[in-house]
Amino acid sequence: MLFNSYEYLIYFLPAAALGFFFFGTRPRWAVRWLVVASLFFYGWWNPAHLPLIAASIGVNFWLARKIQRAANRHRWLVAGVAANLALLGLFKYADFILRTLAQAGLVAPVQLGLALPLGISFFTFTQIAFLVDVRRDKAREPSFDNYALFVTFFPHLLAGPIIHHSEMMPQFASTTNKRIDWHDVAAGLFLLAIGLAKKVFLADPLVPLVAAGFDHATTIGTSQAWLSALAYTLQIYFDFSGYTDMALGAALIFNIRLPINFDSPYRSLDLRDFWHRWHMTLSRFLREYLYVPLGGNRASESRVLANLLLTFLLGGLWHGAAWTFVGWGALHGMGLCGVRLWRRTGRRLPPAAAWALTFVFVVVTWVFFRAHSLGDAWAIVRAMAGVASAGADFGQIRTLLSTDSAAAAALAAGLLVVFRRRNSNTLAGELAGSWLAAAATAGALTLAVLQLGRVAPFLYFNF
Amino acid sequence: MAIVRPGDDKSVQSRAMSGPAARHWRRWCASVLGVTFAALLIVAAVNAIVDPFQQYRLATTYTPRFYALHHRWINPGIAKRAAYDTVLVGSSIMESTRNDWIATACGGSAVNLSMPAISAAEIRTLLDTVFAVREPRRIVLVLDFNAFSGTPDERQDSAGPLPAFLYDRNPLNDLPYLLSGTVLRKSLAILAGRDDEPFRTDADAPWFWGDRFRFARSEVLRGLDPGNINARFQQPARTLAGMRRSFERNIAPALARHPATHFDLVWPPYSMFVWRDFAQRAQLDVTLDFKRYVAEAVQPLKNVGIVDLQTHAEITTDLDLYMDIYHFAPQVDRWVIERTCAGLDRVDSTTAAAAERHLRDALAAWHPPVGQTAQ
Repeated sequence: MLFNSYEYLIYFLPAAALGFFFFGTRPRWAVRWLVVASLFFYGWWNPAHLPLIAASIGVNFWLARKIQRAANRHRWLVAGVAANLALLGLFKYADFILRTLAQAGLVAPVQLGLALPLGISFFTFTQIAFLVDVRRDKAREPSFDNYALFVTFFPHLLAGPIIHHSEMMPQFASTTNKRIDWHDVAAGLFLLAIGLAKKVFLADPLVPLVAAGFDHATTIGTSQAWLSALAYTLQIYFDFSGYTDMALGAALIFNIRLPINFDSPYRSLDLRDFWHRWHMTLSRFLREYLYVPLGGNRASESRVLANLLLTFLLGGLWHGAAWTFVGWGALHGMGLCGVRLWRRTGRRLPPAAAWALTFVFVVVTWVFFRAHSLGDAWAIVRAMAGVASAGADFGQIRTLLSTDSAAAAALAAGLLVVFRRRNSNTLAGELAGSWLAAAATAGALTLAVLQLGRVAPFLYFNF
Repeated sequence: MAIVRPGDDKSVQSRAMSGPAARHWRRWCASVLGVTFAALLIVAAVNAIVDPFQQYRLATTYTPRFYALHHRWINPGIAKRAAYDTVLVGSSIMESTRNDWIATACGGSAVNLSMPAISAAEIRTLLDTVFAVREPRRIVLVLDFNAFSGTPDERQDSAGPLPAFLYDRNPLNDLPYLLSGTVLRKSLAILAGRDDEPFRTDADAPWFWGDRFRFARSEVLRGLDPGNINARFQQPARTLAGMRRSFERNIAPALARHPATHFDLVWPPYSMFVWRDFAQRAQLDVTLDFKRYVAEAVQPLKNVGIVDLQTHAEITTDLDLYMDIYHFAPQVDRWVIERTCAGLDRVDSTTAAAAERHLRDALAAWHPPVGQTAQ
């Protein structure tokens, strides 16, 4: 079920909240209700994947107990992490690996063709972190109900934020937060409205501008390439941060505080700063469970740089089984190495130059993230550099923007919003309960919902 | 504190709230939810009452609008609400068939539910909608080979998303229609008597486009490369196995499940250029094999007949009857339905081979006009 769907907004979310507070005086039942609701949410898209997530939860809970009590704890941890990675590998990476090996002529072309279960990267990483922390004696969870809710809680289940047991378990275990808290509900509705508006009014209208460049990678000119890359930079931010705002908002209605995932990333002054503001919970996971165990900063300089590079290569691969994601991760890894080396010189760029350099780097690297192939990405980057044969094509851009006023408006509004000092987190934190805020929230929710059922006309004009 | 950063321990802080504060926030939430739901309810009511795509009733209190770009949104409503005992289903080539032509040719009352670039999967969906309401006496299926391209559930991207929720009988999933801003704009335009986008108002010929195009040899040849006909149309290649799978999944079950309904499977009279294009793309044998397969597949079914109009060289070589290599003039639409309901041009598994030979001979004998392609 998508957050920006009618069935979620009109039926599921209200029903889940009403049921939760109906069982509020019996906390164990409230938790069980949420688990069942979350599994229903998960199974809506493909019920066939329900046994998979249920088995993953059961096995990991059992493994956690083994790690907690068994004599050979480390062996159980290794087995647990391996099992989780094997599951992820089977569904997400097996075909990619087979395809790559076949292209290298090492195996015959064969594909498993398994459908990727929704959210598998997220619930796998969440549980790996849990097992590692049980082994480190930082985590312990005696309640299966709470553990199941920790993994399945629907606001974070499909696309994060990637949560940490230490910030979630006390909330799930609390008996006091099973009762309705109108301030939390208000903040939740407010964030929900912001997130939905970001998705509907800022991210979705940019799709044609993005497609105009990325679907014609080899024939576009310089300005079209920049326009599409910039449009994608905004689209991915508003799409993902809008989704996260909706997740945080939905969780707040249940008195659960999920960690924020974005903090005005495009205002970053260097790449390190960017990764402290972009997909913050993934950054935390990669730092705590990959970079630090690899040796982190406490190693020789060359080893630190290698750790950074490896962490971001794997971080790129986590996003998807394609070389474009690996390329994107590698570029960010190299960028971070560059930032680290630059910092050691003790020199500083003026803030405007530092911001511009970081922003342009991020825009260019998004090309690799979005392109259909590395070849396409390279073609677009060449076009951006002015090497493409099409040259500058301002007329084409003018036509594109003038024929799609929604996209032009989203581009202009998006640029204004991303550089504003106050983002959705700040606004939600400052929510004072004025009637103006209530009107804005109701207005945004109503208008955004009316846009969800956009009637797509038939495009096949040219018989 | 509604917002916490990763690792922030404020997430579990106590949240005691005073009575007045709690009352204020409760009123705030009630206002937001109340206004939102009231506004959405009003929109849903306006859309349900005006019903611009005629999902709940045929338009009688205002002149109906058949939007030229929204067949897929309006046709399920017509299928559910109109009175008919004969249905015509086809692609854009059959859209210019008036309902009264069908009724006159086939008897009773009729409706044309053709849609541009219709796929076999969409035909199945549409037939399911029809049969959920009634068992028509006759269904004329004009089969486009391209409807059987790709996987059995494949549709043309250019067709836009199919609003599947309008094709079923579940009113609870109609929210994308009832709460659509686009539909609301159309409702308001109807109430205000304003025009918004192109539409027809003739309920007897809702999808008729034959009066907007010129049918002439020069139109057919415009921009056509006789050496590479498909360069203009970019039609996908098909495989016999893929076409068979699609037929078995999308068409055959309806034929077998509704023995009380007579089905005419019609092979439409494309211009000879189409067959030449098939030959250029090594699609000729695939296509003719598929026709033979269909004839054999439906042979045991008493309620199914096949009408093959592709051997009529007097039509298929007269390019003045076409606007491009596929789309023929309204008089040909009428001719198709008249011959079908008159029981002419029937083929079966025993006569299909002769029809195929005839077509191959006609193609071999045909010399396309040369030196007249205009760019």
